[in-house]
Amino acid sequence: MSSYLPVLVLFVLAVAFGLLSLLVSITLSPKARSQAKEAPYECGIVPGREAPERFPVKFFLVAMIFIVFDIEIIFFFPWAVVFRELGGYGLAVIGIFAALVFESFVYLIGNGALEWGPRQRQRRAEIVSPDRTLTSTIRRVGAEGRPAALEPAALAPAAHHAPGHGDHGHGDHGAAA
Amino acid sequence: MLRLTWLIPALPLLGFVLLALFGKRLGNPFAGWVGTFFATGSFVAAVLVFAGLYQAGGERNFEQHLFTWLPAGDFSVDIGFLVDPLSATMILFVTGIAALIHLYSIGYMHHDENFPKFFAYLNLFVFSMLMLVLGNNLLLTFLGWEGVGACSYFLISFWFQKEANASAGKKAFITNRVGDWGFMVAIFVVFLKFGSLNYSVILPAAGGLARTTATFIAVMLFVGACGKSAQIPLYIWLPDAMAGPTPVSALIHAATMVTAGVYLMVRCNAFIAASAEWVSWLIAAVGCLTAFVAAMVGTSQYDIKKVLAYSTVSQLGYMFLAVGSGAYVAAIFHMITHAFFKACLFLGSGSVIHGMGDEQDMRFMGRLQRFLPITSATFIVAWLAIAGVPPFSGFWSKDEILEFAYLKSPILGFLGLVTALITAYYMTRQVTMVFWAPARWGEHAVREEVALAPAAVVAAGEGEEADAEAAAAAEVPAGEVVTLVNGLPVEGHEAVVDPHFHPHESGPEMTIPLIVLAVLAVFGGFLNLPFTHGTEFLASWLEPAVRLGYPGGLEPEGPSPLLKVLFAAMSTLVAAAGIAYARSVFKDGDRAKAARFEPALLQDAWRYDRAVTAFMGGPGRRIFDGLAWFDRTVVDGAVNGTGVLIRSVGRGARRIQSGYVRSYALGVAVGAVVVVVLMAVRVLSF
Amino acid sequence: MSSLAAVLAQAAPGLTAGPAAAAPTPTITVPDIEWTALLPILVLGLGAVLLLTLTSLARGTVTRSGYAIYTVLVATGAMATAAPLWGRVHAWDHLGKWELSPPYGPFSAVAGAIGVDGFSVFITLLIGVAVILGALLADDYLRREGIDGPEYYVLLLLSATGGVIMAMANDLIVLFLGLETLSIAVYVLAAIHLKRVQSQEAGLKYFVLGGFSSAFFLYGVAMVYGATGSTNLVQIKDLLAVKVPTHNALLLIGLGLMLVGLGFKVAAVPFHSWSPDVYDGAPSPVAAFMASGVKAAGFAGLTRAFLLGFGQFASDWQPVLYFLAAASMLVGAIVGITQTNVKRALAYSSINHAGFMLMALQAASPKGVTGLLFYLATYTFMTVGSFGIATLAGRTGDGHHDLADYRGFSRTNPALAGLFVLFLLGQSGFPLTSGFVAKFGSIAAAVDAGSWHLAVIGMVSAAISAFIYLRIIVAMYMAESDTEAAEKAPKAARIKVPFGAGLALVACALATIGFGILPNGLNRVAGEAEPVLVKEPVPAAASGADGAGLTGLDLTTIPTTPTTR
Repeated sequence: MSSYLPVLVLFVLAVAFGLLSLLVSITLSPKARSQAKEAPYECGIVPGREAPERFPVKFFLVAMIFIVFDIEIIFFFPWAVVFRELGGYGLAVIGIFAALVFESFVYLIGNGALEWGPRQRQRRAEIVSPDRTLTSTIRRVGAEGRPAALEPAALAPAAHHAPGHGDHGHGDHGAAA
Repeated sequence: MLRLTWLIPALPLLGFVLLALFGKRLGNPFAGWVGTFFATGSFVAAVLVFAGLYQAGGERNFEQHLFTWLPAGDFSVDIGFLVDPLSATMILFVTGIAALIHLYSIGYMHHDENFPKFFAYLNLFVFSMLMLVLGNNLLLTFLGWEGVGACSYFLISFWFQKEANASAGKKAFITNRVGDWGFMVAIFVVFLKFGSLNYSVILPAAGGLARTTATFIAVMLFVGACGKSAQIPLYIWLPDAMAGPTPVSALIHAATMVTAGVYLMVRCNAFIAASAEWVSWLIAAVGCLTAFVAAMVGTSQYDIKKVLAYSTVSQLGYMFLAVGSGAYVAAIFHMITHAFFKACLFLGSGSVIHGMGDEQDMRFMGRLQRFLPITSATFIVAWLAIAGVPPFSGFWSKDEILEFAYLKSPILGFLGLVTALITAYYMTRQVTMVFWAPARWGEHAVREEVALAPAAVVAAGEGEEADAEAAAAAEVPAGEVVTLVNGLPVEGHEAVVDPHFHPHESGPEMTIPLIVLAVLAVFGGFLNLPFTHGTEFLASWLEPAVRLGYPGGLEPEGPSPLLKVLFAAMSTLVAAAGIAYARSVFKDGDRAKAARFEPALLQDAWRYDRAVTAFMGGPGRRIFDGLAWFDRTVVDGAVNGTGVLIRSVGRGARRIQSGYVRSYALGVAVGAVVVVVLMAVRVLSF
Repeated sequence: MSSLAAVLAQAAPGLTAGPAAAAPTPTITVPDIEWTALLPILVLGLGAVLLLTLTSLARGTVTRSGYAIYTVLVATGAMATAAPLWGRVHAWDHLGKWELSPPYGPFSAVAGAIGVDGFSVFITLLIGVAVILGALLADDYLRREGIDGPEYYVLLLLSATGGVIMAMANDLIVLFLGLETLSIAVYVLAAIHLKRVQSQEAGLKYFVLGGFSSAFFLYGVAMVYGATGSTNLVQIKDLLAVKVPTHNALLLIGLGLMLVGLGFKVAAVPFHSWSPDVYDGAPSPVAAFMASGVKAAGFAGLTRAFLLGFGQFASDWQPVLYFLAAASMLVGAIVGITQTNVKRALAYSSINHAGFMLMALQAASPKGVTGLLFYLATYTFMTVGSFGIATLAGRTGDGHHDLADYRGFSRTNPALAGLFVLFLLGQSGFPLTSGFVAKFGSIAAAVDAGSWHLAVIGMVSAAISAFIYLRIIVAMYMAESDTEAAEKAPKAARIKVPFGAGLALVACALATIGFGILPNGLNRVAGEAEPVLVKEPVPAAASGADGAGLTGLDLTTIPTTPTTR
């Protein structure tokens, strides 16, 4: 059991550090609430809009692509340490690994993950159907479960949403809506 | 060639699959030809196998093991075929007659909209029947047994749009259930005793059974056979089964399926031999009584097919009489000849019905010999065969049964002889009424008018024409002959044939089977001529298959030559007497005179059917009501209670399925705790 | 495929021996890789990556049916590379024209991480079949639902890769690797229908709960490692054979936690709660694959870990499996009969089936393994067939799965209704269908192992679960369609069966009938597919199947030898 003692000590220390910092900030900091302090950016600029703003989903995508390479790097470190001992075999293995990780990057690029222009079309499909009309399009999307009687009424307000439904790609969900 | 055995059932099965899948696309009549092709192919294969078995010599016992279904521990079910003289004989005439009837049906059913379905069922039936006959174990036989039962049900209610047909189908199904129960019990007991169901295992070992066990098995098998082969008291379904199309009546309810019970008894004769003496007495008595009772009913029926149906029941009774008397060869012999002449009779009656525009009442027939020459010729040949006129086939086979029955007990022999007299009588009555008596067709038009008249009055209100017609119809006294010419009643019958109506002979696809069957009905008797042992082909052929049924494995001494001659003479005499008497009564078509010979009791089939119905409706119903009450409150209460409980538990459990991930995660976590605790308990227990 | 094998075989020594020898201090031993053993995994995995790369680089050049055809080809290729392994395992000299190279008999590869035996090859083939059927069903479905791109097929192949890894795993870490490869792909597959909110929900639920259960599994592996000092099943088995572990509780609790993770994958009660929601929400072809391929992989993992690695502890884990089997059979059957949604009902029926398979597994006997494999194989066809019908009957939007939607189905689509009846009867264990033989085998194995009560519970649950199927059949046949619209325009209600789906359904129907009437062939193959643990190195010297170095599964002794601790 004694071999686990350092772990326990570390655990206690970590918890203690967290608690301590909280405690210190609560007790020592002066409490002076003001409008400016409550604002999202405490830098003197008065916010012009609501704080929880919508922003393009692309930001997330970039973050996720970043993670992919992050992980790659994490695996590169231990390999680099024993690089010589592993020799050619290690080189081959890490090469395969890197190729596979890079493959995901190829996929992302191929699907336009880094295309930032507005309204970049994502569909690879040909025209869905030549005889597709405005009405059929609206019915197609989410008509399921809607009572039939409602349809004529629902049709009119739904009509001006139709183009948006028709051709936005998956990357643009946030922006279009 | 014996290796072709699997082909015999496989071909009709393939035909069934093809017809079931593509029947509609093949259409009418091509679907019929496809069905006929596969039935014929099966027949050819059967002939080859038969030839192979004939050449094989020796024990003539060939088993083809296809595969083992469910090889689990001690319970293994083999799918395999047994070809021995008995099954070889059976497959030969089953496939042969089936092929002929397929051909016939192409003509008979040509106007039916469900034409392909009909042939699909027929092929399925042939397959099931062949499984029944060829199976090398009781379970396979039972599968075939159920298969033919199901096909029979489908085909009886083939024209299910009519209420009567549908209920006839149900009646057949339910009555057969009673028999099947017996068969199933027998199978269970056999399996318990031997641990196997294979004939090659159980039959030789049957002799070693305790007497009571063997008796029980034999009786249960007999109950099964009674259901399928329409013996007293389970015969009521067969006459009603005539609601099906006529080829079905010929194939299933005369030639093949109903003889399955006889086949089963002959196949399992070892059990009868090992059982108590009274079992064979029971079988013989039931058979003899059935033969007599059904023959009596046959004397008074008007429906051309009903007469033949009761005749079938009666002839099956003969076969059981033979089985009970230990004359297994005679039973099979009669089964074969009966298949020939009865199929011929049924198909002939179908041809008559077809030619008469769907008229089945014999009172409205007559004179048909002139219009249906081929049909009548073949029908007459078959009539002579069933009436027992030498040298037609029926004479030889029936005679052999009577001799053995006499050896069993003179009473049985005598009753059999009386039945033979009645048989000759009612068949002559039928032939006379249909073919020779004065023509009375067109009368069915009157009947329809009479039936329609009151309705017309109601419908037309004070319409004068309707009144006049109704009055005209009302003037017609019951039982008197009135024919319509141009819608008016006319006295007398010779010249009053409806000018628009002409009975017509059927096409070649219907007459060819008739001719073939008629030829067989003539010469079928030569299979087993009782002159010397050399001419008893069938007896020596079947000997290995029936040997186990003989007490001590030795063939019992047959009738002495003197007895044979005596019985031949007597039955010839009896047949002649029956024919002559019936002819004298029915020749001139005098209904008033004839009616005296058709008592209401017999027309009503001894009121047996009615009694069963009355019993079921009266005291039986009260008993059933009581049972139903018990069933509702106690049994149903328990069952429903369980059902309700299960459902409510289900509903409760459904509520747990809330759809929230958190509750699911909680569920998984609780489950994990349970599993870990279960594991930990193992640790602590040490 | 053989050319690929040759290339890889040539590449192998160059990569391994050469530079390694030149290194100054080779402290790390480089494993000798038996490439042919890895071929099924490689074909599936590289097939997926290749498809993804090609479609990314050259967008729009491949037509969408091309994906399905490609997937079928890859799966067939994987099965083709697995076939020689089967021959080698059974010590055949050659398969057809090809000479099979030694070693003969079951063997381990890649430093004992991968075990090639009849069992793993059987499961590999089964997963291949599930992939083929899943691709055939999905082809038209994806087009109908407007789901573009190769992602479905890529993920299908990747999850199959994971499944095969699980089937071959001889090491708990490898098992976990396979489990995750399988699972993550399936999580995404469940959510692949972007327009259907239920699909998204299903994907999320499956992901969250799956992650939860995987954590349990990993904890279990860690505890087992703590108790035995190894994650390799061969080493663990050897260790346990000579030495009673000191931390017995740790080992058993570890086993219990592993059971949680794997039990989740096969949807055993009480870890089943996700399955109705996910089967209902996921696209129907995905549900078909989940019920067939994923389940097969899960049972492969269970068998390898418990029966092979810890067969010695059978008396410890048998009661737990007993409990899981009984609960799964009963809960699946009882809750299933109250369902009004066909896909949910099928989900509960699959829980019930999982119970039957667990019952076979808990017998811990060769007969049990045979029963399990037979059950898995036949169930794959029945369930894919059922979900295949649901795929077609769901119509555009994949939302018509209520029992009421099936009313009058027999009139509008007689052929599909007939097939559905066949699959449902099969699942209910109707004689002359494969389901009967499968249930029979499972119950017989339980009886042989002395688990009478469990066998009785199984039979009772089979009787109850028959109502699940009867309700659907009754809805299709007895209840007339109340909408006159169907009467007036039967063409509108008639479903056009696309070629791929039709092919899959016919194959499933043939298998369901065929294995019901002629179960012997499959039964024999399942019997020959016994799981064996073999020590590294490969028994090259051994010419026969039972060469030296086998620490094979001596299952016959398990129930009679209580473990002493």
